[in-house]
Amino acid sequence: MKNTLMATAATLFATSALADVNIGNPMAMTGPIPDLNAPIAAAVDLAAANVNAQGGMFAGGEAFNIIRADSACDPVAAVDAVTKLINVNGVSAIVGPVCSGATIAQAESVAMPAGVVTLSVSASSPAITSMEDGTDLVFRAAASDAYQGVALAELAMANGYTDIAVSYANDDYNAAIAAVFAEAFEGMGGTVTANEAHEPNKASYRSEVATLGGTSENLALFSYYGSGGITLMRNALETGAFTNFIGADGMLSDELIEQLGAENLMTSTFTTSASDSSTPSFAAWQAIADEAGVPAADPFVANGYDATFMMALAIEHAGSDDRATIAESLRAIASGPGEVILPGQWAEAKAILAAGGDINYEGAAGNQDFDENGDVAGNFSKSTIVDGAWAAELIQ
Amino acid sequence: MWDAYLFEFVNFYLIPGLVLGCIYALGAIGITLTFGILRFANFAHGEIMMSGAYLTWTVMAIAGYAGLTLHPLVAMVPATFLVILLFLGTDRYFYKPFRKEDTIKVVMASFGMMLIIRSLVQVIWGPNQIAFVRGIAKPNEALRDFTGNIGAMIIMPNKHLFIFAGTLIIVVALGYLLNRTRIGKAMRAVSDSPDLAHVTGINVDNVIRATWIVGGICAMAAGVFLVMDTQMLETTMGFRMLLPMFAAAILGGIGKPYGAVAGGLIIGLAEELSAYPWIGGAPLLSPGYKTGVAFAIMVVMLIVRPQGLFKGRSF
Repeated sequence: MKNTLMATAATLFATSALADVNIGNPMAMTGPIPDLNAPIAAAVDLAAANVNAQGGMFAGGEAFNIIRADSACDPVAAVDAVTKLINVNGVSAIVGPVCSGATIAQAESVAMPAGVVTLSVSASSPAITSMEDGTDLVFRAAASDAYQGVALAELAMANGYTDIAVSYANDDYNAAIAAVFAEAFEGMGGTVTANEAHEPNKASYRSEVATLGGTSENLALFSYYGSGGITLMRNALETGAFTNFIGADGMLSDELIEQLGAENLMTSTFTTSASDSSTPSFAAWQAIADEAGVPAADPFVANGYDATFMMALAIEHAGSDDRATIAESLRAIASGPGEVILPGQWAEAKAILAAGGDINYEGAAGNQDFDENGDVAGNFSKSTIVDGAWAAELIQ
Repeated sequence: MWDAYLFEFVNFYLIPGLVLGCIYALGAIGITLTFGILRFANFAHGEIMMSGAYLTWTVMAIAGYAGLTLHPLVAMVPATFLVILLFLGTDRYFYKPFRKEDTIKVVMASFGMMLIIRSLVQVIWGPNQIAFVRGIAKPNEALRDFTGNIGAMIIMPNKHLFIFAGTLIIVVALGYLLNRTRIGKAMRAVSDSPDLAHVTGINVDNVIRATWIVGGICAMAAGVFLVMDTQMLETTMGFRMLLPMFAAAILGGIGKPYGAVAGGLIIGLAEELSAYPWIGGAPLLSPGYKTGVAFAIMVVMLIVRPQGLFKGRSF
């Protein structure tokens, strides 16, 4: 009841007070992954700038505004940030929460009760697939870790590991991908010698490393680099407990090289969600991103652009920024049938929609066709150190 | 005697536990002194530690531009003066106005200071992590070879040797200050009874100032030792140390600096040793519950013996 009242009040506020289209964008500005977050936020701004430069929203050319807040990659901070965006700023939809834990928490306790669509730029936990509870309000522009965990297990096998120890940070994203990985690795005939959670943000992980290190030479590490991941790797390297490391997105940052030194990372491989750079969509995106100085191929940067651009397309398709119609329009513009729209082609899309035509957005990060759960398929890349920097290679 | 088990126990559990314990101990000294003498729980203590580490890094970076490579322990000295100024400034403008009011007001003021300092550091240095010292620390070879020859190999990087030595020096110096000097005795007197101390002619304001200076030096050392160990700076690192440090201060007894040292070492060891496979091959307690160990010790202590191990004040 309280939520309904709040939602009603906020809707009134949104429709009566503001003519422009306002989108809430809670990003992990502070917290454990600010380095990963910064280029994604730049991509979100770039998409909005493209929309506004090519005619803006609707027939009147209204502005497409991004209202940013800090979700800090933290469930509590995300709920605060999104509550403010929805109830105070009266935004039409949420594009953003970067981390899975933040996305799940804000959707469950704020966005879904208020009937607001969430389109995450990078949340990849498998738990998000099944959390909508009969509604159609949670979408994401990044592939689920149900796939990445398997890709990582295949990678471990390809690297010749027959046994591996797993250490994961105790949060929604890392625990979920660790579980998928462990199951897939055992399914492929490998042995998981130990599978332990670690508490994020501790000053020392030497006892964790010692406990796990007795069991295997190889460590699958699922953690955010900024909340313990680097410290754990440092402790493992210092004590010589592990030789080989693999892991996923949360660890793939230049901070690792900056802090641990590239020479100590020669045996590490990390996967991330990646774009197939051979598609025309990616070429279009690359051109836009290069011009604006945004790193096109960094993790989830293309996804950030896609999510924002699709949200603008959906609202244009719906013809109003009414919260209730956005989910349906999002599905309509993301997949066929319709004229193919590439990143940056806002004027073309606007013209087709104005003439009553259908469009099909083909994103920079992938085709961005939502399935019934609001998930998309995706590609993955593995990164290793080449000449002192991370070099990515597409694997799937 | 020195078999594989003991090697693993000492090098991977006992020494890391002691390192962590030293850092907790130094932080807890400042907390226990302010708690004992000024009678409030200073929530901003962790942030003072953190800002001290950032200042030390800045001094090192400036020296780096001038072509000098300063050891953190050297760079710490000028940074310590700034931290003491910060301590005295916050006391003068934020805590002193509340001195005669209810304790809860000054506790809230310190909570506000915590948020202000952290945000200021984020504004000045940014929310990103900063590498304090690059690369990984290899064990000290002389120590390894020497202990290896006598059959009890100890592998310890230099940074841990510095942390142990630094903690020892500070604790001994603190003991001298409190037991042998006039101001130290005055501090203990104010801690026991501020009114009685005032009547006997002790200048309470001087004592309060001395408390902040001693607390500042200890917090500074704790912060720098922490970043020497983790080798990175991060704006919430002080806050994360706050709970174990409070646990250490309560465990040792409020107002008892030696209690804080003992408490810090016990909490640090308990956190690391709880994950040792005491029974069978599996960790006694999943390492995921390390934080819970410090908290559990604090809660049990408050119930069973609220005055702490060293008979501090109970509230």
